[in-house]
Amino acid sequence: MAYGDGVAIVGIDCAFPLARDTDAYWELLLRGGDAIGDVPTERWDPAAFPAADGAARAGLARGGFLDGADVFDNDFFSVPPREAAAMDPQQRLLLHSAWRAVEDSGVAPGSLAGSGTGVYVGVMGGEWGRLHLGDYDRVTPQLGAGSSAGMTANRISYQLGFTGPSMAVDTACSSSLVAVHLGVGALLSGECDTVLAGGVNLVMSPALGLVYHQLGLAAADGRCKPFSALADGIGRSEGVGLVVLRRLSDAVADGQRIYAVIRGTAVNQDGRSNGITAPNRWSQEQVVATACKRAGVEPREVTFVEAHGTGTALGDTIECAALGSLHGEGRAEPCAIGSVKGNLGHTEGAAGIAGLIKVALALHHRIVPASRFADRENPQLRLAQRGLRLLKSPLRLPPGPVVAGLSSFGMGGTNAHAVLGSAPRPAPRTTAKRARPGAGVFTLTADTPGALIRNLTEQADAVARRPRTAAAALCRQSNRVKTGLPYRFAVTARDTEELAGALREAAAGGLPEQVAHRPWSRPSVAFLFTGQGAQYAGMTAGLYRESAAYRQHLDAADAALLPYVDTSVRDLLLAGDERGVAGDLTQPALFAVAYALAATLTAFGIRPAAVLGHSVGEFAAAVTAGVLTLDEAAHLVAARGRLMHGLPEGGAMLSVQAGPDALRQLLAEEPQAHIAALNGPRDTVLSGTAEALARIAETLEEAQVRARDLQAPAAFHSPLVRPVLDRLRSAAGSTEPRTPEIPVFSTRYGRLLADTERMDADYWAAQAESPVLFADALADLETVCAPTHLVEIGPRPQLLPLAGRAGLATSVEFLHPAPGPEAGGSELAELVAQLYRTGLDPDWERLYDPEVTAGSGEKLRGYSFSTAHRYWTAPPAPRTEQVPAARPAATPPRPTSPLAEPAEPATTDPVSRDRDPVLAAVIDAVAEVGSYPLEQVVHSARFYEDLGFDSVMIMQLKDRIEARLPHLGEVSVQQLLPALRSVGTLAQFLGGHLTEGVRA
Amino acid sequence: MSATAYLAATGSALPGPPVDNATLGRALGVSEEWVDIFVGTRTRHFGWDLETGQVRHTLADLCAQAGGAAIDAAGLDPVDIEFVLLATATPDTLLPTTASEVADRLGLMYLPAFQIQSGCAGAVQALDLGRTLIAGGARAGLVIGGDVTHRHLDPHRDVARVPTEELVNYVLFGDGAGAAVLTAEPVAERVAVRGVLNRFTGLGRPPGQTVDWYGISDRHSERPMLVEDYKAIEESVPTMAREILWELLDQLEWTPDDLDFLLPPQLSGRMTERITEHLDVPGAKEVSCVAETGNTGNALVLLQLARLLPDLPTGGRALAIAVESSKWIKTGLGLEKV
Repeated sequence: MAYGDGVAIVGIDCAFPLARDTDAYWELLLRGGDAIGDVPTERWDPAAFPAADGAARAGLARGGFLDGADVFDNDFFSVPPREAAAMDPQQRLLLHSAWRAVEDSGVAPGSLAGSGTGVYVGVMGGEWGRLHLGDYDRVTPQLGAGSSAGMTANRISYQLGFTGPSMAVDTACSSSLVAVHLGVGALLSGECDTVLAGGVNLVMSPALGLVYHQLGLAAADGRCKPFSALADGIGRSEGVGLVVLRRLSDAVADGQRIYAVIRGTAVNQDGRSNGITAPNRWSQEQVVATACKRAGVEPREVTFVEAHGTGTALGDTIECAALGSLHGEGRAEPCAIGSVKGNLGHTEGAAGIAGLIKVALALHHRIVPASRFADRENPQLRLAQRGLRLLKSPLRLPPGPVVAGLSSFGMGGTNAHAVLGSAPRPAPRTTAKRARPGAGVFTLTADTPGALIRNLTEQADAVARRPRTAAAALCRQSNRVKTGLPYRFAVTARDTEELAGALREAAAGGLPEQVAHRPWSRPSVAFLFTGQGAQYAGMTAGLYRESAAYRQHLDAADAALLPYVDTSVRDLLLAGDERGVAGDLTQPALFAVAYALAATLTAFGIRPAAVLGHSVGEFAAAVTAGVLTLDEAAHLVAARGRLMHGLPEGGAMLSVQAGPDALRQLLAEEPQAHIAALNGPRDTVLSGTAEALARIAETLEEAQVRARDLQAPAAFHSPLVRPVLDRLRSAAGSTEPRTPEIPVFSTRYGRLLADTERMDADYWAAQAESPVLFADALADLETVCAPTHLVEIGPRPQLLPLAGRAGLATSVEFLHPAPGPEAGGSELAELVAQLYRTGLDPDWERLYDPEVTAGSGEKLRGYSFSTAHRYWTAPPAPRTEQVPAARPAATPPRPTSPLAEPAEPATTDPVSRDRDPVLAAVIDAVAEVGSYPLEQVVHSARFYEDLGFDSVMIMQLKDRIEARLPHLGEVSVQQLLPALRSVGTLAQFLGGHLTEGVRA
Repeated sequence: MSATAYLAATGSALPGPPVDNATLGRALGVSEEWVDIFVGTRTRHFGWDLETGQVRHTLADLCAQAGGAAIDAAGLDPVDIEFVLLATATPDTLLPTTASEVADRLGLMYLPAFQIQSGCAGAVQALDLGRTLIAGGARAGLVIGGDVTHRHLDPHRDVARVPTEELVNYVLFGDGAGAAVLTAEPVAERVAVRGVLNRFTGLGRPPGQTVDWYGISDRHSERPMLVEDYKAIEESVPTMAREILWELLDQLEWTPDDLDFLLPPQLSGRMTERITEHLDVPGAKEVSCVAETGNTGNALVLLQLARLLPDLPTGGRALAIAVESSKWIKTGLGLEKV
């Protein structure tokens, strides 16, 4: 097999005794921790296995036991309690781990659904099945599926929606490294683009311990002591570990963080050797040599080897002999060796993955942890003569590429070896990073509001432990990884200190409902483009400095305007120069800002459902709607600005807080005054000669009607602009207006632009003279488009206050991307955050500076699953009757209540149940089939998404419903299926069926 | 010294918003004008609340922030860092050292992490030591300098009764940290450390500055925590600075005309102006920070470097001078971008 550049380890998740996650595992390894403890009482009673001298038998009293091996967040995966309880806990642990491993690879697990991702799980033996399937009276379909080894991998594929190969691998203790080997092969052959590989092991019964004991391989103290003079055999242990693998070139292209690179793997067999359970030196040597060859590595280049190292006299001797003959040759420094089994014990089916994760982390952190018990090295191994060195203290790896080896051997003679290299480093920077990343949006999602709060707390703690840095990179990673679950949280932050504070506040204060947003649909956004009057010197300069996207689009607008205005509007804006927004540059400057804001939002994935432009705002609106090109609009706006500015002096505009009816009489008396804009029921703008307007203002003041001189340079939107209309029309003559791609609500017509109406030269000429019918256009927009959000596109809010007084539906929210002179990247980010909370899925990458998105992604804490449900030793409703244990007095880990006969339905009936006996029957039947608590089976609960029903459960449900509703008569599954959307729809259907039956 | 060390990047940390003289004047009950005229420092930062005295940013917080920023700006990973040197006069605790706390925050492990007890000369002293570690084979290391004031300035002190020489402390100092990544090869900013001067010259001289601390035995002592002999400082520092300038120029065989930038000692806005004038290198552009940051002790030179590096062109030369008046320590750096 051609390894090419190799296979990158891009995601890791694991849990081992006394190490609940990857960080804790690494910490345990670095401090040389000991994870061995007493056997938990719920597993078995060691006293029931006395040795000849009366003491507990070696290896049966102690071992490595996983904390919370019975915990399962079944609701997260929509697995009914009954099924959860029937599932081998190894399957459950893998589901948690799979989710977190994918997250660690910088990918939202939901986004891989439907992909051909492969799953390869090493798992040894089938203790769960042996413990449960022997009792034939208790056999259920759930228990059948729950006890199959193949299901360990298949469940992951099912739950995460992976359609690639999915298989369990059992080669005894080498299972999980063989699983990795198969996964690597699937990547290299092109069968998969992403692979999840690893293993799991739980010590559910003393059976294998008894086997080790009889073989003389069980350590008296339950501890493996690899390569130590004290080594006396195996101590059994538990764990789960998965890695996400990608071809190195794909991982680099996708900017994933790379822990290490698998450069070569090999698997072989002892064949007909010295007994089926005995190790074989020559085969071991062969498998190591083959892996090195495939990796293109000479054994002498290997800096350290994570050995199988079970700590049995024979096993250690043979392994050292095999390693020494290869790695000891032709090198100045001895090859360092060690084994994690000294810390954890032998995790059997998960042993290979425990080693692989240790090696990957060692290459990543560039420190190889010491091997426990190395200080009492077994002299008979003659390590020094063999060119090997047992790691008595951690080894700091030198800078530059490092190669490591990893062995895992199975009792039946299937051997595996992997050669790993440190991750490739980007070339050293030739310039320093100087960009000051702006604000980002930190996103977090969960399956329930409570879960969101739990995860917020964990993220807050993790962020608070980091040194203070800009938050953008962390935010960007949260957008890539922590999106996709139903309940959404989003907060804008500039640095990690601010972020930690915001997360903590969200987690601690307020009700979950205030933090968690569950959108059911996407928001519908309308863009309102601001007209003249909103301009000010230096507008959006802060945003330009902080947003790369805005920079790009304002630069484009500036470049488009440059040929027509002969100066850089952008430069004047950035300099805060008054000239940039005065005279004939006013309109071009407003246009540039509006165009850039709209283009920025559109690039973020905020595509308007409608656009509306107030007066000069219609040009940027027309570009956004695809009617005009940027260049056409730039040309037009520059010409319009110049022409309007060139109008004779003496014109003015007056804003009046009154409706047009109240002004009619006044206007009739003043032929030189006109209505210029109808902005709302009590917002009217007049245009005309300064004298006429002054007289009107005086009258209004006497009538105590508020009026304000707009300081306009001319009487826009009135017949006073007629002298320049011909020139405006001819300037617009060269444009070729296209049909809008987005509905345009014209403020010239005060309504949706009809299909036959074109924004051509005549339109633009008439638009400049006729009144701005903003209120009518906005009302039509609301009627036709029913937007959820109005976003004003301009340098400060001008139209939103008008819209606020226009009596729109109260559910419409108002947003502004640049709400004033102080606004910068934070305000823009907050707008995106707000829309995300209400259901928008923005193109997050565009929100960030290219320096940020070029990085390989910060590490984020994995999802924190609920620990509320335990299925093993503490089922939800413990069964009182205990099966009297036959000799030996082991208490088999028995999933009690949910597998046994269902408990009587609780007496706490919701009100609706009293009113509707059919609904009550459905709820009871559903609760019984899934072993759900009654309160979880609500009217709106969906069978597939919320309750995790499958075909088996539907059959069971039909039986139970028929038993409860004897009058129902014959109902076929085919009839039932369409009604199986939610508990409520099923009850409704059955109710109708019953009525029909009565009628018949 | 055989191998050249390079400054790859810098980072800085200044807590909270800048505190201007008006705000400080109000808190202390002194006139803003007085601060402006006599000290010439416009703003400074405090990691503690000016009203309540509550500490919001420890020295380790600031040093980790600056260090992390420097590593990131250099385009390196924390695992590339092979030593941590931290200079301070105001560690959070005597043990563990703030250097080890910072290593922990930055995720650094299995490397030398130690501390230099120093003042205004600390940053150069740490760079001097870092240079020897690079010469000894290290590829990259982190040099940090920082100080905090919360133990030496009392927000509850009745300032009306504070003598002027002590009141000056309140307007002179600020909290902050600066960091630089030193590398064996030119990467990122690619600024070669061409020369370092580091001389104790206080033989037989009384200290110009004393920063004291109390323990169990003397916790009720009335002696001041922070004392400066301003007369001696005003008299000596300009001369010492000039000597440092010329000694470094001679050592590097540079002339004043070779200098594109000059980083003068940062005592206070006013003092720095006076010293710079006295140094008289009109061709070199001054890079100072004290008027905005206040006197941040061990952070100063590193904060100046953070301002210098973006402006230093390839081939450009800069000279930094720092004088520690505690026991009269002369330090300086000669830098050249390659």
